[in-house]
Amino acid sequence: MSETLATFIASTPLLEEAWRVCSIANKKFPGAYMVEQIGNVAYVAFSGRQMDSAGSDQSCRNLVPLDAQDAALFAPLYRHTEADHPIKLHSRMLKLFLSVYPTLQNQIAALMGKVKSVVMTGHSIGGTTASLSALWLLCHLHSISSPMSKVLCITFGSPLLGNQAFHRSILRQRWGGNFCHVVSKHDIMPRLLFADIVTHISKIQLLLHFWHWCMASPHFIVTDLSSQLPDDIKDTVFHCVLKDLELLARAEESLESLFWPFGSYVFCCQEGAICVEDAVSVIKMMYLMLATGSPTCSINDHLKYGDYVAKVSKQFLKARNFHEDGLPHSSYEAGVELALQSSELTDKEPVEDLCFSMQSSNLRKEVAIMAKDCLEKAQNGDRPNLTAAKLAIKLSKIVPFRAEIEWYKACCDEADDKLGYYDSFKLKGGSRRENRVNLNRHKLAGFWNSIILMLENNKLPHDFDRRGKWVNASQFYKLLVEPLDIADYYRTGMHRERGHYIEYGRERRYEIFDKWWRERSVSGQNKRSKYASLTQDSCFWARVEEAWEWLDNVRSETDVTKRHQLCDLWRKIDMFEKYARKLIENKEVSIDVLAKNSSFSRWLEEWKVLKSQVVQQSPP
Amino acid sequence: MDGLTFGVRGLREEVIKKACSVAMAAHKSLEKPYLVEKARTSSDVFFIFPGSWSVGSWFCRPAFGEIKINQSELLSPKGNDKVATSLRSIGRDEPATVNEGFLRRFEMILSDSSLQIEVEKAITEKQQIVFTGHSSGGAIAILATIWYLEEHFKPEKTRIPPLCVTFGSPLVADFIFNHALRREGWSQYFLHFVMRYDIVPRIMLAPLSSMESQLQQILDLLNQKAFFPSQGSIPEASRFYKTVMRNASAVASHAACQLMGNTNPILETVASLIELSPYRPSGTFVFCTGNGKLVVVKNTDAVLQLLFYSSQLSYENELEAIAERSLNNHLDYQSALQESLNMQNVVELDHLEGLPLSSNGTGADNIAKHMALNDLGLSTRARLCLRAAGEQEKQKLSNQQRMDEKKAAIEEGLAKLEEYKNKSTVCQVGYYDAFKLSKDEDDFKANIKRLELTGIWDEIIEMLNRYELPEGFENRKVWVELATKYRRIVEPLDVANYYRHAKNEDTGPYMHKARPRRYRYTQRWREHAERMGVGSSGESCFWAEVEELQLYLTTNPGAFEGIRERVLNLERKLEEWVNGNQISNDVFLEGSTFTKLWKSLPDQHKSISRIQGLIKQLG
Repeated sequence: MSETLATFIASTPLLEEAWRVCSIANKKFPGAYMVEQIGNVAYVAFSGRQMDSAGSDQSCRNLVPLDAQDAALFAPLYRHTEADHPIKLHSRMLKLFLSVYPTLQNQIAALMGKVKSVVMTGHSIGGTTASLSALWLLCHLHSISSPMSKVLCITFGSPLLGNQAFHRSILRQRWGGNFCHVVSKHDIMPRLLFADIVTHISKIQLLLHFWHWCMASPHFIVTDLSSQLPDDIKDTVFHCVLKDLELLARAEESLESLFWPFGSYVFCCQEGAICVEDAVSVIKMMYLMLATGSPTCSINDHLKYGDYVAKVSKQFLKARNFHEDGLPHSSYEAGVELALQSSELTDKEPVEDLCFSMQSSNLRKEVAIMAKDCLEKAQNGDRPNLTAAKLAIKLSKIVPFRAEIEWYKACCDEADDKLGYYDSFKLKGGSRRENRVNLNRHKLAGFWNSIILMLENNKLPHDFDRRGKWVNASQFYKLLVEPLDIADYYRTGMHRERGHYIEYGRERRYEIFDKWWRERSVSGQNKRSKYASLTQDSCFWARVEEAWEWLDNVRSETDVTKRHQLCDLWRKIDMFEKYARKLIENKEVSIDVLAKNSSFSRWLEEWKVLKSQVVQQSPP
Repeated sequence: MDGLTFGVRGLREEVIKKACSVAMAAHKSLEKPYLVEKARTSSDVFFIFPGSWSVGSWFCRPAFGEIKINQSELLSPKGNDKVATSLRSIGRDEPATVNEGFLRRFEMILSDSSLQIEVEKAITEKQQIVFTGHSSGGAIAILATIWYLEEHFKPEKTRIPPLCVTFGSPLVADFIFNHALRREGWSQYFLHFVMRYDIVPRIMLAPLSSMESQLQQILDLLNQKAFFPSQGSIPEASRFYKTVMRNASAVASHAACQLMGNTNPILETVASLIELSPYRPSGTFVFCTGNGKLVVVKNTDAVLQLLFYSSQLSYENELEAIAERSLNNHLDYQSALQESLNMQNVVELDHLEGLPLSSNGTGADNIAKHMALNDLGLSTRARLCLRAAGEQEKQKLSNQQRMDEKKAAIEEGLAKLEEYKNKSTVCQVGYYDAFKLSKDEDDFKANIKRLELTGIWDEIIEMLNRYELPEGFENRKVWVELATKYRRIVEPLDVANYYRHAKNEDTGPYMHKARPRRYRYTQRWREHAERMGVGSSGESCFWAEVEELQLYLTTNPGAFEGIRERVLNLERKLEEWVNGNQISNDVFLEGSTFTKLWKSLPDQHKSISRIQGLIKQLG
């Protein structure tokens, strides 16, 4: 699987083309980038030679949170950020991107309409700029919902860029598939930032200079040049990275690291390539491959992408013969075995490899076992379409619970107490019927949460959140059940504990469903002739609750000196009233809103009274 | 394997031999649209199509020169009955895609020659028709066979199915074409011979832009070789072989990722950036190994993998030799078949999911199969891809079985709703209007049943959408009947629910904007099965039209003229449906929405309406 995917990517012209422009950018455009159009595809290659790349001081591993200003460029990503896990990026790489951004923006604007897709690419440090540029472009296209939506980022030996929250926000935006990081077997650069390299900063500096110098030389032969780098630099850096990476990769439970990979990694070896997406597996593979290398080859491999790309791109021609003895019978295990052989991490005698300096056969065996374990985990067991089909069955089982709530709503809306759906549930919380409804509410919430979890772990088909059935079902669920969530929140006094529902109490699933609903394709809207069966703004009741608080505050405020705050409250109340009237006018509310004793009707009554009092007291 | 019939009905060894010799000989008559030849000893009549060697007739335009079948006069619906073409997926209603160059050529042959007349003559004389051709002639033969099947066989103008035997034919159509062929049970009439290294059947996997001027040079060379087999090779051969193989690798590995259930979204991102061929094999393939063996493959996903993997190099240094062979093989069919047929060495690759993975024979319980895999030079990776193709086929069957097990649940649900319907009729409301009001617990329970059934049907539809059921599923009589029954009982409830919640004001009329796929798809099933006109089996959405007309009259009082045609049309259909027992009489109950509509129609219209009798009698 991981191996077949890598074969597919290597059979396309993309890797070779991307590398070709990268190597030109490296040689001819230091500190800049170049654009080349091939057919309908524009290649934007960022040079790997950046003057101020890793930094000369302690800041070489510095992560900075996206601040408000930069966040505007990455708004869709930033939306996912959580207070206690802010998205953080390598500060210098972010600066580098921001320095090219103004011209890049113009370049892209000029390409719009001329090309169907853009490939952002870069070698070494250029890779991080390519990643950020691709990310910016994805955000930009997302915000203008442009048809030119095809963006691919291909990096070669790029250093790490951001933290785990960054990785997660890209997954949530479902952009993981737009990033392809090509990493050669032993290259130290993509692994560098896993390690605490601050103490070796001067050596890293020398190493970077050496690499830049090699990239600039027109026809270098890596092995000739590498003798010019002192051995102690190679050794120190190699062992420092290997040590920290090993700790990370062997951590049993939770891997914690400052930096975290994102997107897919294509690991290139002499004998083949594999494509891995799962971040933990990526880290493990990075370790395992480095462990089988040597200081010299870990430095040289950063410069050998031309060879690696040429090699994997030619692989399709020849039938690859694998070691067949002991090939397992099950397709699944055999698939893992092939991936292992492609990544050259088997315990068999190694193929001829210039870099090979290894090592006791014990280590090799150990590596092989770990690699096998890792690849098995990386291979998704369940098929996404099958999972989706099973979910459809689960949905049909859960739908009767929803129907029961619908029935409950219909009963409330026609009941003699004229409380309406929202207030009935809020007031009668303890009674038998409401208990049953409450139980259904929890069941439905559990179901939808499980779906979101699966989606974010890529267990579902990639277009799942665009399938009409699910978009409609989630919307209907939201409109029907969220009012009950709100009622429950205010009944149990959560708003006093945590703050108001909309800002502090709203479950993430509703925000996700909002997004699905917004992004579906819609045609023009008709006018309604009767009230909607469900209020179209599912947060309506939460707004009513807030309006009640404002009203109470206005009434209880007697201190005239706080006139300023009072004005603010009046303005808010006024705005809410306008909003509510507009909804009602458009008949976008359900009749329960207008029920005689609903909290909205009562609010409106009291607001009128207050207004008339105020007018009487102080005529305009 | 039953001798040399390849499991193909009516096929005999001499048919293959004869077809091969006449197909190869046809290259001497490039100027003729087609040739006819009768067998001396049997009733077989061969229609042979010569190939063409100009790039323009292979690729009309970049990247792949394909066209949707409904853009051609030839195979789209004709006449008044407006029956839809078979060359589509029924539910999804997605037309097949074919190569435009070949299609246009066949259209020209059909209109400018006596082919139609001669075929009709052969039908009258009850002869076995064999369409055949070598190279692009094979592609024309495939289209001719399709034309025959659609035009003559399907409407039962003849009971004798055609045979189509091609040699080194390029691919002509996409996977929907293959899907339709399998659904109709037509795959078995197509037999395609492919030499292990012949480049031609692989050419369509590469976009024109990647081959550019090479292609014409290669075709010219093949043309020369057709006359002078000893013609040497050209330096372009290696480059051409590499180009085609690189693209074939992309297509095959992309398909393999899908077969293996890939979840990494990078697959589709990358695929969207490159030109990926839409062409897919269809019918039965026979691979000639080059050492006297014939390997038969019916799983077309596996054929696609084989097209790539069987012509991979075994050693790096044989590139030039294989590249030359990839051209020479294209003209080797006659000798290779002669040898193979003498040796009677035929292996069918079936039960692919259990193929041995290693080439040294461990774990192979079937020696012949094991040898065949080696003779095609299949690596472990290739075998894994074939296994994935086999597993997918198995998966489809097990999906079907799972659905079959749900039939009882569907029947039971329908029985409950039928009961609900009868009860409502007794109460003089009609279940449509009872449900629309939803006052009682019975209505609530009916809604739950409706939702349960929806779950089952939506699952089926989802699977159809992703082609995860066997191709024949939409053609199975029991399911077509069950679906029709379901549609007639349950769709009115969906319509009632829709108008009860005034969803038409959100999304527009039910029919245009909101009709669920479970009803649209299943309506097409029936129309296809019974060869009805497109859209003619709309009895289950009768109420939606009633609601819309009623709505129109409420918002535009007295404006009957604006909807006269629609009312007349509805009345005509209603009469037909009531008489055919496709709609029950509860439509006419006093309190029904339809009765309301009827009452609001102008008296003058009612007095001359065709259904006034029905109203009197049943109302």
